Amino acid sequence: MVLPLFLLCLIGALDAGLWAVQTSAEVSAVEQAARIASSAGSSPTSETAPDARAVTAVIAGQLHSALFGTTVEIWCATTAGGGCAPDATQRCPTTPAEVQAADGPRVVAVCVSEADPPACTTPPPGQTAPYPPGCDDSPMITVRVIGFVASLVPPGFGPGARGFELPTDISATTHTLRFAP
Amino acid sequence: MRRRRRRGENAQAVLETALVIPILLLLVCNFIAVMVEVTVQQQLNSATALAAQSRFQAPQNAVDRPGTRCCGAHGVTLVTSGLPTGCRYAGETFYGTMTAYTGLLHWQTVTLCTSGGDSGNAGTPPSQPRAYPGSPANADVSCDMGSVKPGGLVVPGYTDRALNPPSGLDVVTCSASASLDFANTPLAWGVFWTPTLHAQAEALPPPFRQ
Repeated sequence: MVLPLFLLCLIGALDAGLWAVQTSAEVSAVEQAARIASSAGSSPTSETAPDARAVTAVIAGQLHSALFGTTVEIWCATTAGGGCAPDATQRCPTTPAEVQAADGPRVVAVCVSEADPPACTTPPPGQTAPYPPGCDDSPMITVRVIGFVASLVPPGFGPGARGFELPTDISATTHTLRFAP
Repeated sequence: MRRRRRRGENAQAVLETALVIPILLLLVCNFIAVMVEVTVQQQLNSATALAAQSRFQAPQNAVDRPGTRCCGAHGVTLVTSGLPTGCRYAGETFYGTMTAYTGLLHWQTVTLCTSGGDSGNAGTPPSQPRAYPGSPANADVSCDMGSVKPGGLVVPGYTDRALNPPSGLDVVTCSASASLDFANTPLAWGVFWTPTLHAQAEALPPPFRQ
């Protein structure tokens, strides 16, 4: 009785440690990726964020070394030319299950998306330009690491659909830095 | 005699098991709680660091126009009219980044936008930052930053005298505090402590910034 329980506790503690290491790596990778993605990219006057592939390439090594048994994928809608679609049109997965359905178990996707402010319009009487407020803001960039990471949790115990995995969803959002008018 | 001894041993084993099981579970619960605390602390550090840095993504002298709102959590919207745009950028970055584990956190509400403040040194006493007039006081993050008001009035940010001593350097600082509550999780069974997490980040103006 005590031995199985001891083993269960030991595995639980090991898994908690493993999860903490993996999540910490994801948090620091996402922060680093957000800083890169919010920077001016290839040119100071660039109007779009760096390509998701470029951002992922920078943090992939960091993620690969920490996410044991987990595959790191780039989440992007490919264009006809083989590159990623512009970040402004990118739609990131909203749940880890969405990544699992698309890429399989124990896969995390790195997604970069850009949210543009509302377009400026002619202000109504009594309001000053630019209108609506915030329309002249720089776009916001979000880097998200989402999916299922490998773990020791057996099937039926964890929130993962297939066992031996735990869901993860870490993101970082910041405004982009643009010198263009 | 032998049967009695075996019965005694069985009773002893049951008693030992009954004692060991709760202790083991207690240890594991607390270990998991510490791991969660470490992870949330790192997420908080990351969110405050990005928030402080994002002030420099906004134009230096920009001020939010009337009717500007931002971010907030739990259905709260923060009104940032008349405040430096960099302050709203910091709030939006913080709330946009601190999306995980929010159900476990009880935030200490603070003033979103402050100015002034001095780390102090031998010749200058330390001073606390002051709230910008009209700054929302129900935010989860507070950022201390300088700005230039319409008309050219310069509002100083936080003076860090450890940098460029003794005159110091005008920097942006952001801080946030929250307590981590396990009451609504299965860990509540064995975790009887509520740690308070605090993160403070400082960002230096880029040298090319005008």
